[in-house]
Amino acid sequence: MNLLEALLTGLDEARRHWGQTVLSLLGLVLGTGSIVTVLALFGGQTALTEQFLNEVGGRGTIIVSDRERSAHPSARELASKRLTFRDAQYLRDRAGALQAVSPGWAHELPYRAGNTSFEGQVIGTVPDYMAINDIKPLVGRYLSDLDVRHQARVAVLGWKFADSLFGAATVALGKVVSIGGKSYRVVGVMEREEFYFAAWEDNALEYRNERAYIPISTAIAQHSATDNLDFLTLKAKPAMGGAAAQAQVRSLLFARHGVEDFDIRASGQGAGADSGQFLLLFNFIFLVVGIVSLITGGIVIANILLASVVERVREFGTRMALGATAGAIFAHVLAEVLVVTVIGGLLGLGLGTALTGVVAHFMQMPAVVSPFIATVSLTTALSVGLVAGLFPAFRAARLAPVEALRYA
Amino acid sequence: MSPALIEARGLAKTYRLGQVDVLALRGVDADVAAGEFIAITGPSGSGKSTLMHILGCLDSPTSGSYRLDGEDVSSLSGKRLAHVRNRKVGFVFQTFNLMPRLTVEENVALPLKYRGGVPRAERRARALRLLERLGLDQRIGHRPDELSGGERQRVAIARALVGEPAILMADEPTGNLDSAAGAEVLSTFAELHAAGHTIVLVTHDPGVAARAERVIQMSDGRVV
Repeated sequence: MNLLEALLTGLDEARRHWGQTVLSLLGLVLGTGSIVTVLALFGGQTALTEQFLNEVGGRGTIIVSDRERSAHPSARELASKRLTFRDAQYLRDRAGALQAVSPGWAHELPYRAGNTSFEGQVIGTVPDYMAINDIKPLVGRYLSDLDVRHQARVAVLGWKFADSLFGAATVALGKVVSIGGKSYRVVGVMEREEFYFAAWEDNALEYRNERAYIPISTAIAQHSATDNLDFLTLKAKPAMGGAAAQAQVRSLLFARHGVEDFDIRASGQGAGADSGQFLLLFNFIFLVVGIVSLITGGIVIANILLASVVERVREFGTRMALGATAGAIFAHVLAEVLVVTVIGGLLGLGLGTALTGVVAHFMQMPAVVSPFIATVSLTTALSVGLVAGLFPAFRAARLAPVEALRYA
Repeated sequence: MSPALIEARGLAKTYRLGQVDVLALRGVDADVAAGEFIAITGPSGSGKSTLMHILGCLDSPTSGSYRLDGEDVSSLSGKRLAHVRNRKVGFVFQTFNLMPRLTVEENVALPLKYRGGVPRAERRARALRLLERLGLDQRIGHRPDELSGGERQRVAIARALVGEPAILMADEPTGNLDSAAGAEVLSTFAELHAAGHTIVLVTHDPGVAARAERVIQMSDGRVV
């Protein structure tokens, strides 16, 4: 009897008592199902993060900001002029990895219109900023080069601020708003921006609705004592990786400043951290459940096949008496395990897919069982089955025929 | 006299049972010629089953020599022994030991499957021929639990014969049967003997032993 034939015999056996086979699979099915669900939810979350990064300008968007001065600054640190317009110009000229550079200024200033007043963020920037961040006005227009050149007193309001100051975003156009004690004409109102990591989470892009954009020249002339910038918004060329562009910007700025007094990060970094943490816990619990079920399943399979079942041991004894070699018995047991495991894995995959659908529906999260997830979970199930099956197979094969026959 | 199928000299078997050595066989000589019908008999614990296990290559002697069909099998490896069991020996057990999930026909063909190299169609044909000869041709598609005790034992006899072994060995073949079924099985053995098969049968029942040509009486690990 060759190995193939032994495997076929084992397969046939598993088929003939499939009812018992399926029952013994429960652990394996549950384990595989849990792992599929975890991976699918995790995958959905990753996709969501990717989507968010695209919302905030794509992976290639880089933000450079001033680093807090150290408590005891070095001479170099004191000599550095920090982020300036010249830095922006320098990067425009030298940083081949970048396709756009936009200087930025940001302050908290009082807003007032009629009887409404509050403190809020003001961004001083240039027209490029809109292209980099992929944002659009709902009504009116965005800042123009002309506004920047003439230090125009014009503002583009975020949707929420326009709404709070004038009652409705659309009526704000053409009105005058006082920002930091200076009057600005509203020339545009931005679209409302929304992004939810999970149904129970707040709008992750709400901060963009709560600000106003003014020309950077105006911001510095009207509200700043120095011409220092607060940040640079950069866009890497699509062909370049964000990381490569970051490295280039770091070395160029370091050469100019003589010290690393700036921070570079990808836009959207750390976004969704809260929901991420919640999901991490959620995934962790599922993963633990999955692993425990898989191990339990493995033990159940091992136990059933461990030839501790009297009937099976005698059966192996009989087979040996009829001329089965140790190798044939080994292959037989292993084949049964493999069949059981493959069936269990597939059922688990089905269960996991269904469970993913249910969880995704009730928690309103995107989750998809990809071919990759299917492969990983089936491989895991198969490995568990193999490990669980090898020992019983060895034991069954090593029995002396007469002992197996007498087994009680 | 026909050529000797079994030539055993000074077979001894010692089991270790916890701290004690149990001498199951204390030097047994046995000769069986082709075509003989022999009963090994004796009280329980006399070593008759141990002797049959060794003669059937299910167990190896602690000492002594054993030639089966001209081949010295007392020092063969596990794989070679499996081969010898498959080709030279046909077993019939007290509890039938049929595979519960296989059909009658599949059960009978099983030894040929383990032999390897026998095409499926031939395995089937040989199984069917034997089942017909034993009057079981109406039962080929049934599972063992659908058969009576006597029928099960005759299926087991068919299985033992399918590989055309040199010798048929039966361990208390009527032990689990009522007297009618037992008589039926015994007459099957008698027919097989008449057809030229060599049969070694272990029993503690004098009535069963009386059907044999020759009786090997065992007691306390020795032939008496």
